[in-house]
Amino acid sequence: MNCVEFRRQLAVDPQTAVVAFVQHRAECPGCADAAARALAFEHDLACVLRVAPPPRLAETILLAQATSERRKRASLRRYSVLAAAAMLALAIGVVGMRAEAEPLSAQVVAHYEGEPEALRAAEPVEPAHVVQTFAARGVVLKHVPDGIDFAEPCPIGTHRSVHVVMPTTDGAVTVFYIADVAASRVEDFARDGLLGRSLPVAGGTLILLAKTRSQFDRIGGLWTAAIAG
Amino acid sequence: MPVSSPVSSKQRQFDALVRSHSGDLFRYAYWLCGEEALAQDLVQETFLRAWRSLDALRDSAAAKAWLITILRRERARLYERKTPTLVDVDDVDVADGRESLTPDGEGESALVRSAMLKLEAKYREPLLMQVLGGFSCEEIARELNVSNAAVMTQLFRARQKLKAMLGGEPIEAQVYELR
Repeated sequence: MNCVEFRRQLAVDPQTAVVAFVQHRAECPGCADAAARALAFEHDLACVLRVAPPPRLAETILLAQATSERRKRASLRRYSVLAAAAMLALAIGVVGMRAEAEPLSAQVVAHYEGEPEALRAAEPVEPAHVVQTFAARGVVLKHVPDGIDFAEPCPIGTHRSVHVVMPTTDGAVTVFYIADVAASRVEDFARDGLLGRSLPVAGGTLILLAKTRSQFDRIGGLWTAAIAG
Repeated sequence: MPVSSPVSSKQRQFDALVRSHSGDLFRYAYWLCGEEALAQDLVQETFLRAWRSLDALRDSAAAKAWLITILRRERARLYERKTPTLVDVDDVDVADGRESLTPDGEGESALVRSAMLKLEAKYREPLLMQVLGGFSCEEIARELNVSNAAVMTQLFRARQKLKAMLGGEPIEAQVYELR
């Protein structure tokens, strides 16, 4: 390393420990003096650059970090509650959809079993009440069949439906009319010890439930005439 | 029975990092932006970001370089978000008396401070990394994403310009001291 190379290296990195640099400094008194001055300048420069940080800088940073973590945890808790609510809503939706997916026969049987007092009604219902009940479901009756002890606009799932009970010599026959679901054909079924029949009537579905099917033809005919005319 | 809140090892590591490096990082930020309040904000943001990605720090010996990388990115983000108020370096109060070269060297100290702030960023930054950070030319080159030769040139010119501003002598003679 010659003097020019040494001085250049001195300006790039005065503290270097490169062998050639150290060796030249030991051998060249002029360069050694320059190196001493450069190191003094470096020392002064380092002192100037070493400004004092604000008091309690570390504590301020740690406090900011702790605060930020607390906020993060709080918002995480908030989001967890929201997520749980969303999951619950989803679950309810799924249950609702599953209920919707259940056949109408199952839904009416479930309703039948959940409303036993309907079968205990022993007084005939006024024809005007029957007309009103069907009208509430958007159905205009052509006439009202005789022998109705119970008639209420009970909901089956989300459907527009009417619940009727008619006593007969073979026991009570429960009649449901679902105004907004059209059955495709007449179908007999048995569920939970009950016998049933569903049949298409005027764009809706008539469902009959009883312990025996003996009255189904007659009562089905009555309601078909009353609704469809 | 007293219950003490458990402090995670991550938190302990972070505390140590803050206490060891916040001062150096502040000095680096201060000389980068020339404003104490801005430097403090930058350092705080740097550590908050460091906390979030502390798992990425595998080698504690590399912590300082890692933090400086984060700080430089934070500063770039800050400049993207807003145009900072530019202060004429001649208006910067550099003689705040917090540090001095020697008891009788406050005037000289103020001159060096002023000269440092007048130095272009491309010269000032590698010089800061070398003098304050103790980084080698290779480490600076890696951090600044430039060649080793470019860093050497920048360091050479940084000192050349600094001494010229301080002494006002012809640059070549000043640097090489070959007069």
